[in-house]
Amino acid sequence: MVSASESLPSQALPPLPTGQRLRAWFYRNEAVRGYLLLSPTLLVMIGLMIVPLVGMVGLSFFTQTYVSIDYTFTLNNYWTIFEPSDKAAHFLGIPFYLKKPIYLLLLFKSILVSLAATTAVVVLAYPMAYFLAFRVKRHKMAWLILITVPFWTSYLLRVFAWKIILGFNGVINSGLVSLGIIDKPLEFLLYNPFAVVITLAHAWAAVAILPIYVSLEKIDRSLLEAATDLGDGHLERFLRITLPLSLPGVIAASLLVFIPTVGDYITPTLVGGTDGIMIGNVVQSLFSKGNNAPLAAAVSVVSMMTITIMVCLFLWFVGRGRLSRREI
Amino acid sequence: METKRDIEKFIDEIKYGRMTRRKFARAMASVGLAVALMPTGRTRALADDSVPTVFTWSGYDAAEMHGEFDKKYGKAPNYSIWGDEEEAESKMRSGFHPDMVMPCSYKVNKWNDLGFLKPIDTSRLEHWPEIIPALDNVPDTVIGGKRMWVPAWWGLTSVTFRTDLAPEYVPPEKHTWGILWDEKYKGRLSMIDSLIDGVMAAAIYSGAKDPFNMTEAEVAHCKDLMVQQRPLLRFYTNDNTGWQQALASGELVAADSWNDTILNLSKQGIPSAFMIPKEGPMTWTCGVAMTSWVKPEMENMVYDLVNAYLSVDTGVYWVNTFGMGHSNKNVYSHIPADELTKRGLTPGDIDAYIKAGHFQATIKNEPVLQAMYEEVKAGI
Repeated sequence: MVSASESLPSQALPPLPTGQRLRAWFYRNEAVRGYLLLSPTLLVMIGLMIVPLVGMVGLSFFTQTYVSIDYTFTLNNYWTIFEPSDKAAHFLGIPFYLKKPIYLLLLFKSILVSLAATTAVVVLAYPMAYFLAFRVKRHKMAWLILITVPFWTSYLLRVFAWKIILGFNGVINSGLVSLGIIDKPLEFLLYNPFAVVITLAHAWAAVAILPIYVSLEKIDRSLLEAATDLGDGHLERFLRITLPLSLPGVIAASLLVFIPTVGDYITPTLVGGTDGIMIGNVVQSLFSKGNNAPLAAAVSVVSMMTITIMVCLFLWFVGRGRLSRREI
Repeated sequence: METKRDIEKFIDEIKYGRMTRRKFARAMASVGLAVALMPTGRTRALADDSVPTVFTWSGYDAAEMHGEFDKKYGKAPNYSIWGDEEEAESKMRSGFHPDMVMPCSYKVNKWNDLGFLKPIDTSRLEHWPEIIPALDNVPDTVIGGKRMWVPAWWGLTSVTFRTDLAPEYVPPEKHTWGILWDEKYKGRLSMIDSLIDGVMAAAIYSGAKDPFNMTEAEVAHCKDLMVQQRPLLRFYTNDNTGWQQALASGELVAADSWNDTILNLSKQGIPSAFMIPKEGPMTWTCGVAMTSWVKPEMENMVYDLVNAYLSVDTGVYWVNTFGMGHSNKNVYSHIPADELTKRGLTPGDIDAYIKAGHFQATIKNEPVLQAMYEEVKAGI
């Protein structure tokens, strides 16, 4: 950037007093200006994100006594999480007769459920986003608003809606009974991990559609025309241009859905039944009924670290994949 | 779209250095201020500093529950509502200081240890002599000779079942917690998701000598029973509407529940019954306590409010609306016998009826049981 003194005829101006000069430098220095502009945001981030997070990590090294907390440093909470247990475990309803630590097992199960939900969301969202970006010509805004409509109501209500759809006397069951396809209601629809996946997939759909839509919308249409001119068919065009160029949106969508759903405890509580319990439920119950905030904090830290590592690996993997494709 | 243009302008101004710190901070502050003020504005305007603040369950703030107080002072107390007692506990630990709270008896000991409660002088309560004698000596509510809490309502935790779907359990001598372990009804049973109402029910069924203070062997036996039961359950739940609807639709045959469930089912004409199991139901009571933060000038009003909650009028409203028992013994003569039976209460000797159950007490080895319960629920 051209500094102020160079751009102005310097002789024309009397030298400024030192104080004013310093102030002028202070306000013109790009880094300082950047920090100043950021400062409110930075404060909010520190106050509402970093401080609580540090507090939580700190708490995980203490011990809960009956009514207060013992502040001697200990790794016991982490040992409790990683300690191998010799008890047999039911996993997604299937008995697993292996030695496994219970909290890690639940975390693993939560990740599986969440991955299933993320895959379902992205697979369902992609065609919708594609339709919006390439097929809808008029009233695009109206279509976009329609997609966000479910988000106008509370998350809890959206989950409850699935209880009504999948329930014993729910929409699906009573529909099938009245059509004479089944003679008594299906019990496997609700209160299992399958119901959790369906509910999560619906509840987070809009979060996935929008980033994919944005990345599809940004694709330069002349690339597609060029591909057609050079003899590519629909499928080739999609695989060679549309899909690779929309990957950033797909990645964003996957992360936006995966990260929050791993820790979700509302959906498993309401539609999960006995086999649908996830790690969030354990953290919640340790914090409240279990009266063991330090252990809950340790479980949260371990979950967060696991998710962070998974996300980093995912991004690294995707990044590498795209690089090699560019090299070809 | 206007907003989009505004935001783009905003970003451009930052990008080209035309935005000053003041201008930026002002824009950010206006957004922040608007968001921050939204929740405070209304509550500030509504809170009245001249009356006590009560921290309690939703529904316990109804005007009919504190009529005597309102009549005397011409206005109602302030209310703050908790989701459950654990949530309330953490809120009070972190600095919320109400004047009066309404926990159940098994929480009194802990809340006293946390320094939340102040003793109550029952001679200052006009309705105290009308309290059902069986509720006088609830475990853990008189601590060190001081009464820390007074009982206001009570109820039973037992099994509500569909008489048409499980007819073999209909005769009163067949009533047992065992229906919740009956293989025939696999996938159509449910338990309350809590230590006090769920695990303790299993403890009673397991035949533990004192369910609230079990030995190691008794805990192990209780755990075995719960492991056995898990595959038979449709869900563990805290939500009484949830199990009521499931019983009503026939999705559940039997559920661990309170005696309000049977009232709601009979109102819908659903064939159902509330058991008085041969192992004994669980009896619970919740009530009123004054907090240690009560302002001196507020103390008389708090006593009047406690008294109002113990009155016959409050009791009649309570029994009619919520379907559970009130601690004032004069309430029952105001309600027809069949209405009492419909609620799982008795037109007979209420005192003996309460004594027949296992009274909920502070759970002695709570962390061990909680860990055990988590393992059971996780299927381990």
